[in-house]
Amino acid sequence: MFRKEPVLGGAEIAALVTMAAAFAIPMITKNVLVYSVLNQALVGIVAAQSVWIMLRMNLLSFATPAFMAIGGYTVAIAGRYEITDAFLMTALAFLLPALAAVPLGALVLRLRGTYFVLVTFVLSQIMQLLLFESESLTGGSNGIAGVPAVTLLGTEMMSNRQVLLFACGIAFLATVITALLTRYFRQHFAAIEENEILAESLGLVVWRYKAVGFVIAAGIAGLAGYSLVNMLLTAHPSSFSSESAVDFIAYTIIGGRGTILGPIVGTALLVYATNLFGTHGQYAQGLYGILILAVILAARGGIAGTAAAAFRRVRG
Amino acid sequence: MQQFLQAAVIGVSLGAQYALLALGFTLIFGILGVVNFAHGGFYMLGGYVAYSCVSLLGLPYPLAVIGAVAATAALGWVFELYFLERLIDDHLATLMLTLGLYLVISTGSLTVFGPLAMEFHFPVTGAFHFGSIYVPKENLVVLVICLTALAALWAVLFRTDLGRGLRALADDRAVAMAQGMRPKLLFPAAFALATGLAGLTGALVTPILALSPGVGDPVLATSFLTVILGGLGSLGGAALAAFIVGMVEAYTSVYFGGSIGALVLFVLVLLLLVFRPTGLLGREVRGA
Amino acid sequence: MSELRVEGLTKRFGGLRVFHDIEFSLPPGALMGVIGPNGAGKTTLINVISGRQPPSGGRVFLGGRDVTGQPAHAISRLGVGRSFQQTNTFKGVSVRENIARAIRFGRRGIPQGLEQLMGQFGLIPRLDEQSDKLPYGSQKMLGLVMAYAAGPKVLLLDEPAAGLERSERDNVDLFVDHVRRVGGASVLIIEHDMDLIRRLCPRIIVLDAGEVLADGPPAAVLARPDVIAAYLGDTEDAA
Repeated sequence: MFRKEPVLGGAEIAALVTMAAAFAIPMITKNVLVYSVLNQALVGIVAAQSVWIMLRMNLLSFATPAFMAIGGYTVAIAGRYEITDAFLMTALAFLLPALAAVPLGALVLRLRGTYFVLVTFVLSQIMQLLLFESESLTGGSNGIAGVPAVTLLGTEMMSNRQVLLFACGIAFLATVITALLTRYFRQHFAAIEENEILAESLGLVVWRYKAVGFVIAAGIAGLAGYSLVNMLLTAHPSSFSSESAVDFIAYTIIGGRGTILGPIVGTALLVYATNLFGTHGQYAQGLYGILILAVILAARGGIAGTAAAAFRRVRG
Repeated sequence: MQQFLQAAVIGVSLGAQYALLALGFTLIFGILGVVNFAHGGFYMLGGYVAYSCVSLLGLPYPLAVIGAVAATAALGWVFELYFLERLIDDHLATLMLTLGLYLVISTGSLTVFGPLAMEFHFPVTGAFHFGSIYVPKENLVVLVICLTALAALWAVLFRTDLGRGLRALADDRAVAMAQGMRPKLLFPAAFALATGLAGLTGALVTPILALSPGVGDPVLATSFLTVILGGLGSLGGAALAAFIVGMVEAYTSVYFGGSIGALVLFVLVLLLLVFRPTGLLGREVRGA
Repeated sequence: MSELRVEGLTKRFGGLRVFHDIEFSLPPGALMGVIGPNGAGKTTLINVISGRQPPSGGRVFLGGRDVTGQPAHAISRLGVGRSFQQTNTFKGVSVRENIARAIRFGRRGIPQGLEQLMGQFGLIPRLDEQSDKLPYGSQKMLGLVMAYAAGPKVLLLDEPAAGLERSERDNVDLFVDHVRRVGGASVLIIEHDMDLIRRLCPRIIVLDAGEVLADGPPAAVLARPDVIAAYLGDTEDAA
C-alpha cells in the first residue's frame, strides 16, 4: 500500500540529462556569444536551484547572493595564494557557506515565513556592507581582480572552452546534489510547504528540515559564487548585490517552482531573453516583473509546470 | 556638543521620514499579511509624479505633492483590488505580486525618465541657525509635514471608524469579519493608505536627496529593517524603531562616516532577533 | 506510561484570559469529553496541551514527565496526537500520500489495525483520489485516521463530528472504539454533539468562561442547573 519511492524521479532524470547535454555545447561550437550566454545561464541555474530548495518549503530566501559571495570570495582569496585545485575549491566553496548557514539558520528559521524573507534580505545587505568594509580581506570596493584559473587534475583551465566546461561541471554537480536532496526529503519538504502545522502535529521536526534545506541551499549558492568568479576572473561586491537575488527568484518562479526543471528552464529562457535586450539589459527586469505577475495570477506552475499540465491534458 | 545636537536634528528628521514609511509598511503587513516589496517603488513614484507635476505641468510644489499622494494611493488601491485581493491569504503569492509590481514600476520609471537623476529641487532654500547648529529649512519643512502626517495617521487609526476597523482586522481578522468589518472595502483602503504615505515621503524627500530609478532600493531595506526592529505588525514598534534607526544613522554618519553605520544597524537588528524575535513591541511570532 | 495530567493550566492572549487553572488527569486508555459554550477556550486547550501554543501558566505532564512548553513535534513524538476542527489534510495530494506521510512522520511504524480503520471509513477505494476532492465527511475521517496513523498513545480530538451528517456520526464512535481497543490510546474529545458525548464518554468536563465548571459522569453533570444555564443562549448543534 505504501510503496517506496524511486531515488530519482522523471523530472530529476530529465534535469540531469539536460545538464549533462550542456557539456556538448562547448565541444560543438566556439561562438563567443553562445559561450557568454551559456556561462551566465549555468551560473544562474545553480543560484536558482539554491532558491528553489527553500521554495520547496514555501520559504523565499533573498540570501542567495550572500552565500554566493562567501563561495566566490573564498576562491578569489585562495587564488591570491596560488591555491586553485578544482576539487579542493569546490569543496570549500560549498562547505564554507554551508557552515555559515548553520548559525544563521538557527537564528532565522525559528521565525515565521514572512520574517524569513525579510531577514534573508537583510543578510544580503549585511554581506554587501561587509564586502565593502573589509578591504584587507576582500579588496573592498575594488574587489579582487585577476583570479587565477581553476586547476583540474594538473591542467589549468584557462581557455574559454575550459572555463565553460568547468561551469558545466559545477552546474551538473549542483543539480545532482539538489536532485538527491529534494528527492530524499520530498515528502518532508512538501508537507512543510503544504501544511506545516499538520506536519508538526504528526511529529515532523519541522525546523530540522528547514535547517537542512537552508544549509544545503547555502552550499549550492556557494558553488554558484565559485562559478561566477571563475567566469569573471574577478570577485567584486557588485556581483553579489541583493538585486541579483531578485533575478534568481524570478528565474525560479517564472520557470516553475514545482519541479527541478523549473529553475533550469526559467534561467535558460530569461538569460537568453535578457541578452536579446543587448545593451538595454536593465529593461529586462520589467519583463521579469510582468512575467512574475502573469505566473502568480494565471499560471502558478510557471513555464515548466504549465507545460507539464498541458502535456498531461494532451495525453488524456 | 554642537556636533551631538546637530546629529540629533538629523536623526529626528530621518526618524520622521522613516516612521511614515515604516508605519505604512507595517500597516499593510499587520492588516493584509502582505509584505509590500514595492514600497520603495511607491516612494520613487511619489517623487517622479511630483517632479512631473512641477516640471511638466507647471504646478506649484504643494499641489505636486498632493498629486503624488493621490497617484500612489490610487495605484495602491487598484493594485490591491485587482491583483492582491485574489490571493490575499497566500502570503508568498502576494509578496511575489508586489515584487513583480516593483520591477514594473522600476523599469517603467527608467523607460520614461531615463537612468539619470532628475533636476528636482525643494522650493524652500536656506537654513536656520540656532547658535552653531545648522538646520536647513527644507529639512524643517519636511519634518513638520511628516509629523503632521503622523499625527493625522494616528487620528485616523485611533479616532475614526475606518481606523478602528483597520486595527480590528490587524488584530484578529476572523473576529473582525464576524463583527461585520468588510475587508473588500477596508483592504484596498489600507493598502492605498500605506502607498500614499510612501508617495508622500518620496515627494517630500527626493527633491532634497535625489530622484533617480535606484532611490527606492534603500527605502525598502530601511523599511524592512525598521519593521523587524519594531516588531512586524506593531504600529508603536514601527514608529519607535524608525526614530531609533534615524538616530543611529545620523550619529554614525556624523561621527564615523562611510557605511559602518548601516552595518552596525543591520547587525544590531539581527542580534535583536536572537534575543527578542518579536522585535521591540511585536507579538508572538513563533514559527508554525 | 502515558497518563496525561494537566495542572493549573492557564492561557492568556494579551489582556484576554482564555482559560484559567484547568486541572484534570486522563489515565491510559481512558475516554473523556470536554464540552462548553463556544469561545470557552476548548480548542486553545488542545493547542496548548499539544504544544502548538505555550501556556501562560501551569504544567502539562505526560507519563509523569513534565512536557510543559515543548514544541508540537516533540509532544507528538512523546505520543500525543490531535485532530483539527476543520478538515485538515495535505490538500493537493492523494489519500494514500496523506496517510503515508502520517506514518512516516510519526516514526512508529504502521499502527495496529490501520488498514481496517481505513476500510471502515471507505478510504481504501479512494486511495488515489486527491484528498480535498473527497466529500467533507471522508476528509474529516481521513484527518482522524492520519492522527491515528502517527501512532499516538493519547489522542486529542477537536470536534470530530462537526459538519458530519447524522448518518456519518457513527464513524466517530467506531474510530474512538478502535483507537482505544486496538491502539490502546486514551482519548479526549471536544464536542458539541451532546448525543455523542452522552453515548461515548463515561466522564465529561464542562468548560465555561475558561474555567472548569463541572467534572463527572454525563448524566449527573448535564442535569446540573449551572451547566444548563451556561448553555442558555448557546444553541446546541442539531444536525
